[in-house]
Amino acid sequence: MKKSKKSTIVSLTNQLTEIQDKWKRALADYHNLEKRIASQQSQFVKLANAGLIDKLLSVLDNLETAQDHIKDKGLSLALTQFKDVLKSEGVEEIKAKGEKFDPEIMDCTDMTSGKKNIITKVTQKGYKLNSTVIRPAKVEVGSGTKK
Amino acid sequence: MSKIIGIDLGTTNSVVAVMEGGSPKVIPTAEGRNLIPSVVEPAKNLVGDVAKRQMILNPKNTIYSIKRLMGRRISDKQVEKTKTMVPYEIVAGKDNIASVKVENKTYTPQEISAKILQKAKTDAEAYLGDKVEKAVITVPAYFDDSQRQATKQAGEIAGLKVERIINEPTAASLAYGLDKKKNETIAVYDLGGGTFDISILEIGDGVFEVKSTNGDTFLGGDDFDHKIIEWIVAQFKTENGIDLSLDKQALQRIRDAAEKAKTELSSSTETEINQPFITQGKDGNPLHLTIKLTRSKLEELVDDLIQKTIGPVKAALKDAKLKTSDINEVILVGGQTRMPKIQKTVKDFFGKESHKGVNPDEVVAVGAAIQGGVLMGDVKDVLLLDVTPLTLGLETLGGVRTPLIERNTTVPTSKSQIFSTASDNQPQVEINVLQGEREMAADNKSLGRFILDGIAPAPRGMPQVEVTFDIDANGILNVTAKDKGTGKEQKITIKNATNLTEEEVEKMKADATSHAEEDKKKKSLVDAKNQANSVSFELEKQLKEHGDKLDAVEKKKIEDNLKNLKNLAAKDNVSAEDLQKATQTTLESAQKIGEIVYKQQQTEAAKSGKGTEPAKGTEPAKGPESTKAPESAKTPPAGDKKDVKTPPPAGTKTAPPKPPGKESSAKDKKAKDSAEEGEVVKE
Repeated sequence: MKKSKKSTIVSLTNQLTEIQDKWKRALADYHNLEKRIASQQSQFVKLANAGLIDKLLSVLDNLETAQDHIKDKGLSLALTQFKDVLKSEGVEEIKAKGEKFDPEIMDCTDMTSGKKNIITKVTQKGYKLNSTVIRPAKVEVGSGTKK
Repeated sequence: MSKIIGIDLGTTNSVVAVMEGGSPKVIPTAEGRNLIPSVVEPAKNLVGDVAKRQMILNPKNTIYSIKRLMGRRISDKQVEKTKTMVPYEIVAGKDNIASVKVENKTYTPQEISAKILQKAKTDAEAYLGDKVEKAVITVPAYFDDSQRQATKQAGEIAGLKVERIINEPTAASLAYGLDKKKNETIAVYDLGGGTFDISILEIGDGVFEVKSTNGDTFLGGDDFDHKIIEWIVAQFKTENGIDLSLDKQALQRIRDAAEKAKTELSSSTETEINQPFITQGKDGNPLHLTIKLTRSKLEELVDDLIQKTIGPVKAALKDAKLKTSDINEVILVGGQTRMPKIQKTVKDFFGKESHKGVNPDEVVAVGAAIQGGVLMGDVKDVLLLDVTPLTLGLETLGGVRTPLIERNTTVPTSKSQIFSTASDNQPQVEINVLQGEREMAADNKSLGRFILDGIAPAPRGMPQVEVTFDIDANGILNVTAKDKGTGKEQKITIKNATNLTEEEVEKMKADATSHAEEDKKKKSLVDAKNQANSVSFELEKQLKEHGDKLDAVEKKKIEDNLKNLKNLAAKDNVSAEDLQKATQTTLESAQKIGEIVYKQQQTEAAKSGKGTEPAKGTEPAKGPESTKAPESAKTPPAGDKKDVKTPPPAGTKTAPPKPPGKESSAKDKKAKDSAEEGEVVKE
């Protein structure tokens, strides 16, 4: 009788520890989730537009290429307006031409003659949204050889 | 206790996942993507996307596909082949183990892989907000002991205790919960970015045994992209006579477009490849690339690649001494298996549907995370939290069901909401607790009902009755109704509120879906009737108060409309639209009352010197309530307030057909809205 009481105590104590452990873990999961949601929310507000803006950027690319070819005054005005809208949303063009190559914000697509590690040509403009890179600039980088 | 993360250390990409609250979650990288390119620049310590971006600039120092060298000797055939394909230098390291040389320093594949694992660890720590010290890492089923050992070492170099190395196909099976099956044979078809693997597994008593493996280590999604690029270049050449493959910049744009087209054709049957100003013609005029690519054309282009996977599948079956009919389950892994044609080919070959998730490129990492969870003791017997299978709510005015706890809410949980009375001096409210998905109370299951009485005499909408639904972890539902004015409380306890058989739940859900349309109609009719009734009630009150100021003709008109509306609302076979129309007409005719009241106010204001601008050009407020703005301030916010069905005085259970003078929450809201409009007009 006594023995069974003891074993009951042991088994209950074990159960208690196990449950405490699980409870703590669930609580920890929950707290972490709360923290993460808070940080994600602020991130979300900042970057909520990233997906849409990224899609618009390829349209901007094409309009700019078109402008390079046809050099139309009206289109130029429209382009300025478009860029102003993006700017007001926190979109910022990554300066690349003539800069030193930086893989954090640029994507090298080719090497050409020119100063070593210096951007010789931007093949696709890169953009940041509220200081986060949403599209790295596609660039050609100098190889250190002369033309 | 720190968590055990699961890592799919891939040839082209790596993915990290972790168990959270009992279910696996893929961890996003610092760059916000779900995968890390398995690319490393060891000299400058760049990993993932950043390393990949500088690959062209720095080809000798940028290491990719390191998995192909993992734990192999320099004389290994695979190493020889890799040597001819990559621009970096592969050298013999200690004990003739294949290593890479970057800026005169030799790195073992373990060290390179460790950089990827380190990034995985850092990203996971940032995500979890906690230290990560342990991991489960996956390897291909054909990896031998030294390759597995090398993978384990890579983990240790990265500061991770490798709790277990598991096979990729096993991880995929775990992700689909196939470890619970008994004595089954599983085929895992894994077509990734650069490699193809087929594995045949047998499962018995939760243990997986690899029966055979086969594959093609140089076949993957990238080859599919190349086919599309070639096709686009060829098409453009026949049309314009210009070879775009010679124009690196154009080729880059085509590469991006090809990948996008491939992805799109997995969900649609046709896509347009549009790249304006791709190049210049011989005459200097700009040329545009516009090509339509259909799914069937794509399938034709890559057909040989797909067929190429079938050989290894047959060989693997032969090695395992099995026929296609012996295979119980088929699993698709790898991003390229999103392609419908591949899914169909595999289905036709095995004669059965395969398991395929939304993200076939994440299942291996997910499986590894599940294994990690099992090791942590997280999964073995998770504290299974129940959910309420059906919505719990109560009956409100007009026999409408108002939900309080939505279905699929994890219990224990508690919700409360404030309701009010529907008629003046209503002494009691009846709470009818309902379970089900239907819009009308009568179509749901009534779990119980009780009455809260002793409500002090007050105009309707004034008393505040707080109703609380509380389900504990055992599924016991406590419903409490409390009159906030008198503090009087009444409650009911319902056992097994969540305890329904699966069939019951399914049936009730199916009912709800099949009746959704008809329920909506019924509900909108009740809403319309409630609104008509409350409008008549209010107008009668207004007429009593201000009727003497109207001229007889107008008064008669309003009274006629009112009478008509009341008759209409009492009818059973009236349509919601007709009622709404009648309500509208009545309200319009009643605008006269508002006009008179305002005119009077303005004259009074002018007399007292504080002249307000006559509201010229502004529409008169729609609702008669607008004259009584202060009242709305006393009632609780419309969103929180619903009127509870009043039991008829006699105590019979069913409510008589909508006696006039009852009002719904919808009306309440409207009244409040119009009250606000009224204020705007005054300003």
